[in-house]
Amino acid sequence: MFYKTALATSVMMLSAGLVQAEQTYRIGITQNNVGVDSYQTTYESAFENAADELDNVDVVVLDAGGDVARQIGQVRNLIQQRVDAIIIWPTNGQAVIPTIRQAHRAGIPVVVTNSKIAEAGLDYIAAFSGPDNVQQGASSAEMMCEALDGEGQIVQIAGQPGYTTAMERSKGFEDRLAEACPDVEILETQPADWNREKAQRVMENFLTKYDDIDGVYAGDDNMGVGALNAAKSAGRAGDIAFIGATNFAVGYEAIERGEYYGSIYQSPVDDAEAALQTALDVLEGKEVPKMNFFETPKITADNLAEFDKPVF
Amino acid sequence: MIDMKRFMSGGAAIQPIWIFVIAITVFFSVMSDYFLSVGNLTNILVQTSTIGLIALGMTYVMINGNIDLSVGATLGLAASLSVGLQDHGLVVAVLAAITAGVVLGALNGLLVWKTGVNAFIVTLGAMIGVRGLIFVYTEEQSFYASNFAFSDFGASAIGPIPVLAIIFLACTLVMHLVLKKTGHGRNTFAVGGNPEAALDAGIRIGRNMMINFMIVGFFAALAGVLLATQMGASTPNLGRDYELWTITAVVLGGTKLTGGFGSITGTLGGVLAIGILRNGMNMMQVPAFYVLVILGVILISVLIIDQKINVKSSKGVQA
Amino acid sequence: MASAEHIKQGFMLSKTHKAGLLNFLSAQGILVFFLICMLAFSLFSEQFLSQSNIMTVVRQASIIGIIAVGVTVVIIGGNLDLSVGSMLSFATVLVVDLHDKIGPVGAILVMFALTLMLGAVNGFLVGFMRLNSLIVTLAMLSAIQGLVLIYSGGQNVDIANQSETWFSVFGQGYLLGIAVPVIIFALLAVIVQVVMSFTGYGRRIFAIGGNPVAAVYSGIRKNWCVFSTYLTSAFCVACAALVLGSRVMGSQNNVGQGYELLVLAGIILGGTSLLGGAGSIWKTVIGVLILGFIQNGLLLLGYPYYTQWLVTWVIIILAVWLDLANKRKRLLTRHS
Repeated sequence: MFYKTALATSVMMLSAGLVQAEQTYRIGITQNNVGVDSYQTTYESAFENAADELDNVDVVVLDAGGDVARQIGQVRNLIQQRVDAIIIWPTNGQAVIPTIRQAHRAGIPVVVTNSKIAEAGLDYIAAFSGPDNVQQGASSAEMMCEALDGEGQIVQIAGQPGYTTAMERSKGFEDRLAEACPDVEILETQPADWNREKAQRVMENFLTKYDDIDGVYAGDDNMGVGALNAAKSAGRAGDIAFIGATNFAVGYEAIERGEYYGSIYQSPVDDAEAALQTALDVLEGKEVPKMNFFETPKITADNLAEFDKPVF
Repeated sequence: MIDMKRFMSGGAAIQPIWIFVIAITVFFSVMSDYFLSVGNLTNILVQTSTIGLIALGMTYVMINGNIDLSVGATLGLAASLSVGLQDHGLVVAVLAAITAGVVLGALNGLLVWKTGVNAFIVTLGAMIGVRGLIFVYTEEQSFYASNFAFSDFGASAIGPIPVLAIIFLACTLVMHLVLKKTGHGRNTFAVGGNPEAALDAGIRIGRNMMINFMIVGFFAALAGVLLATQMGASTPNLGRDYELWTITAVVLGGTKLTGGFGSITGTLGGVLAIGILRNGMNMMQVPAFYVLVILGVILISVLIIDQKINVKSSKGVQA
Repeated sequence: MASAEHIKQGFMLSKTHKAGLLNFLSAQGILVFFLICMLAFSLFSEQFLSQSNIMTVVRQASIIGIIAVGVTVVIIGGNLDLSVGSMLSFATVLVVDLHDKIGPVGAILVMFALTLMLGAVNGFLVGFMRLNSLIVTLAMLSAIQGLVLIYSGGQNVDIANQSETWFSVFGQGYLLGIAVPVIIFALLAVIVQVVMSFTGYGRRIFAIGGNPVAAVYSGIRKNWCVFSTYLTSAFCVACAALVLGSRVMGSQNNVGQGYELLVLAGIILGGTSLLGGAGSIWKTVIGVLILGFIQNGLLLLGYPYYTQWLVTWVIIILAVWLDLANKRKRLLTRHS
């Protein structure tokens, strides 16, 4: 229910923008790596759909293919084309700062979406719009405490090394876990690059190495389901609580079946629409807070019915 | 020697890749209003300078009949060193980065020379291993330069032309002259064209190869440092797949993988072709998925056309 | 410089002539090396030689291994295939996506047919058009990745009712206590090894890889032989996709990314020369297993995952160097 309301609100917000606007805006977006997972792909189409519904917005949609250097080039191209605003989904929270600074100097407002940039760059952006990944990690830690009654041994499967979202979720999780239930011990952390098959392999190795695993925290559901698959083949899934983030359809179904303890509900549609709306607000001269987090609630078997199944 | 001259003069006629470069330039100028502006053209030069610099060195290595797959990893290591060591001073950091590139090149060259192991294998090993070195050094972290002086250099310009573009063009000119006018350049052709004859002519083959590996290592490191100045930062994954695009650019430029034939002018054309295609397709908003297919198809087409031209011109020579 | 090489060459020759044991060791270097690695790891980690760990490693290595069997044939024929990574993504996405749409049998058939077609494109361009295989398959690596994304629209694909389909057998099933992926890997390896060693077809592949000109003069239809090696490679990729898709019961679009390098690393470790005309499937099998066990062993010992890359570098150089010591004479004349 929450999600539906949120969507309705954002659609209303968008149409409100439509009525007010008189000028046509060209907004350029450079995304991280479309096609690498469904979240990013759904984000892209949601962004294009949202822009299509507005008569006064033209968008230039680019994709960096995960390559920092290519993203820098794309921002330069957008500056060159004199777009009115640039939305950037950073391939790396540090490396894009100088190019964001160049856009800032050229008088083009920059909105950072989905994944934060480092503090040194905050002066040069108009706003950030996206999920609070540290908070998400903390929420997952709280669910882990609940699931294990505050005691046990767990393993962590992290996202792509060096990528801000992965680092923030890990940090949020580890800090909150130590605080909320110090008796839950993280045995080991390995990255699986947001890849389900890799997570499956990593989990198989964990299962051989450790006879006693009570919980798994995965940086997203795609990897979490990979870990679940591995545990199921080893016949140990029943003893382990699986907790993820960025609820995928497969994760939603696994919660439904009772195999997966919980996750964080994060909609790429909300994410995309929030980014576009933030950029429009900036262009229309509205007062916009620097950090715009959209809500990403916990999702477990208890409140599953309140959410639509993710489309990705 | 006479054969050599014929090879060189063959490069004087306009190369097929340049016809292609001109064709796509015209095409994108018609298709996009923004394409043919000074700003965009210098953008293309800056964006191609990374692959372009590596390709200069790669051309030498490939004329030698070798290949270097480790350049992407070397670039990543140099970038990380040039940012990570800035506490010791900018000069130290940059020197360390460049030295690392040259040393890794020397190591590759030495292994190819002394062990006789195929360059593809030696550098494939290095490609995997040097990436490991980066991760050991950085512990998976991205580094960033604490002051903006470093990244200001990457964004600076002399007149309308960005410094990075000037560095790239200057290096291209030097490498062109070295290949055409010096003994080292002639030896490079001889070693790749006919090793036995080169040996008989008293050319020190192993040394020549090793120097060329050091050259490509140097350029990979330089490209890494310059890329780091554009970002004011480095990431451990920087440079992934760059070896593939570099080799592609060099081959597009007409350099033969079998060795003994190639030119810096052709390589420049190859690098520009890829840069212009990417930039132009961005301008036309071709979806990223299609860009991959189009690049692949164009590469194969150019290969086929190039082969047809060569078969015509060298009929009877190839048994 | 030339004389130095000659002296070195003489030194190498006398050494190999004298020491019979050393000769044997260097001939079987990779096998010896494999055993030393296994021994070393088992000293430091109790779990390393446990049955469940060994089964896990072999099962994980089998996907790379299955592809490596096919690529080895391409390499023996004197060419390279770098497109297998994208091709694996293509085949896996296809078979998983079609599973729910047209049923498992149809999905498997269509997947094999289309993957073989991609192999045929490679084979046509390299075998008949005589284009350089490195560049052709590099271009195909990019083009096929694009095709996958266009086909799926960039979305992950999943099999809906995972518990109700027999499709899971390829990746998750067991036969007589042995994991099905391992059985597929072993079967393919044995069949291809037998074909390469004991049939005229196998001998022809060795001939065109070793000395293409002589092979053509002796009446071998080189075009078709090269073409067929790429079909073999594509067939193996399709088998690997069957295992991968069934193991995960879903697929991302970049699932095969980087596999081409792992496959090559395994083949090189096994000691198959990239010059063509030499090599064997069983060596590749050992090379792939070494990679798998090193990765697993280092992780069990608690080293970070990236140390395996450094170790792989050193081992590749040492293994190939050791292997070459045996064939020193031939290579010196070739390279000096």
